[in-house]
Amino acid sequence: MEYIISLLILTGINAILATSFNLILGYGGLLSIAHPIFYAIGGYASALIGIHFSVPVPLAILIGGLIAAILSFGVSLPSLRVSGDYLVIASLGFQLGVLHIINNVEFTGAASGLSNIPLLIEGANRSKLSLLIVIIVLVVCILLINWIVKGPYGRAITAMRNDETAFSAIGRNPIQIKVFLMALGSGIAGIAGGLYGHFFLYLSPEQFGIFTSAAFLTMVVIGGAGTVWGPAIGALILTLFPEAITFLNLPVSVMAPLQGVIFTTLVLIFIFFRPQGMIGGHRGIDGLAVWSQKIDMSRKPEKK
Amino acid sequence: MELSWNLLGQLAWTGLATSSYYALFAIAFSLVLKINGVWNFSQAGIMVFAYYGMYTGLQVLGLSTPVSLFIGLMTAIVASIGLEVYGFNILRKRKSPVLTYFIFTIVLAQFAVFLTELIYGTAPTTLYPSLMSPVFLVNGIVVSHWDLQAITITVILISSLYLYFKFTHQGQSLVAIADNPPLAEMFGINLQRGYIIAISISAVFITAGMYLFGTKAALFPSTPLLQLLIFSVIATIMAGLGNIFGAALAAIFLGLFQTFSILIIPSKWQILLAYILIFVVIIFFPEGVRMPKRKIKRHDLNEIID
Repeated sequence: MEYIISLLILTGINAILATSFNLILGYGGLLSIAHPIFYAIGGYASALIGIHFSVPVPLAILIGGLIAAILSFGVSLPSLRVSGDYLVIASLGFQLGVLHIINNVEFTGAASGLSNIPLLIEGANRSKLSLLIVIIVLVVCILLINWIVKGPYGRAITAMRNDETAFSAIGRNPIQIKVFLMALGSGIAGIAGGLYGHFFLYLSPEQFGIFTSAAFLTMVVIGGAGTVWGPAIGALILTLFPEAITFLNLPVSVMAPLQGVIFTTLVLIFIFFRPQGMIGGHRGIDGLAVWSQKIDMSRKPEKK
Repeated sequence: MELSWNLLGQLAWTGLATSSYYALFAIAFSLVLKINGVWNFSQAGIMVFAYYGMYTGLQVLGLSTPVSLFIGLMTAIVASIGLEVYGFNILRKRKSPVLTYFIFTIVLAQFAVFLTELIYGTAPTTLYPSLMSPVFLVNGIVVSHWDLQAITITVILISSLYLYFKFTHQGQSLVAIADNPPLAEMFGINLQRGYIIAISISAVFITAGMYLFGTKAALFPSTPLLQLLIFSVIATIMAGLGNIFGAALAAIFLGLFQTFSILIIPSKWQILLAYILIFVVIIFFPEGVRMPKRKIKRHDLNEIID
């Protein structure tokens, strides 16, 4: 039972991450893949605050989210100058660079990871209450994002995403929207990182690398980019499905790669047989086609 | 560390030799980007297949080096052609956006890594039981047989590619495809054939690079994706998209830069420089780092007119 609750908590956290990533990627059209690094920043910041200062854990988690939101400037600033595939690579550089720092400084526990993280909730019902908190945070995130994208600001976001030049021409400021989307999405990812750290009590740099970027991207795209519920459903499928083989009791050396093979096979099947995502049918092919950002070697880099 | 000409010469030589496989990987990456039009992160998967193809021949089956190299090369070529025909071609026809390619290529690379871990385990491996290479001194600089082998292979392969592009119809067809695919098709060039040839050539460079790497250092299945590929990406961006030979030069520069950086910073921070470089190059030189263009003087103009 404890294992199933832990799995549901992980699924909920992944759903929060996919939903917040969708705000940046699906609604904002900002092709950043660095979302896991804000998850890491929030997780590490919250854990370190919890370890070294006598701050209540919920407050530490919020501070972690705030730090992640502030550091999101590291990606939102390049997005003011380049976009498309260039932003993908710039965000990758940012992610790997920060991760490398986390991996090599002592106070984060370096490559061996950070432990002794204080608990989010103590007591016999710790897991159930933690699950409840994760579900509440997930629902709040989904409702908040739904409220933003369905309102006047959401229309501005859509207008900016569809035609930034025209959007600027009518006197609106795309910079402010990009910075806001990136900060909000990254802040939520930071909070998810805090929830993860204070429940699973261990953080390691390898959890936040390029594999994780691909996993979150996949959750968004498989669920349906630019849809409210799609990314959460994508997270649900991609977190739970590979775990099904855990019950086979295989050795760890076989289990981890086998789960990886199942996960990647699942993604490849989706890419080729259900490219529009689970609930992205109305959005056209690939669930992301709204941006039409294809590689075209004849064009100049999208420098602003 | 006390600086001396010998030390600087040694660093330059070692950096040059080590950067040989970076140059080969960068050419492979840049070639597929230029001709096939894809940021091929699944190159890491092809690298894994090429390496473990050779490893199976050498260490598992106990075959000779040429036969094992052939196995590695064939594995890489078959995997690359499969990638083009059953992957990129389908996405291209579907007019998929850049992120779909990104997800596909990264996930495929991951798939290759996981599959290899499942078959061969997660422990590091080398192509030969010993990585020692005989050395000799040239003016106080230590030169190993591996260094000479690496530089020779790299020079031969890059020169051959240059001559192929410059003097063969097939090479020029590839250049035409890279410049303007619809126009190339209008002139009767088979695009799909061109894409397959380009990705097969990249497989040759990848196999050569993995052979050099596997005879120099131990390899984890995840090493190509987590470490080696990033240099190719940076070199490609630094050179400017589509500049294949420039990517090789940029890779050599990166290799030397990394080697010389040990004079200033500890080795564990060297890779951070690469990540900082990605950021700086993309933000400040999104069209690649270029030399200032020479101004055309009047007498040059006269020569052109004549």
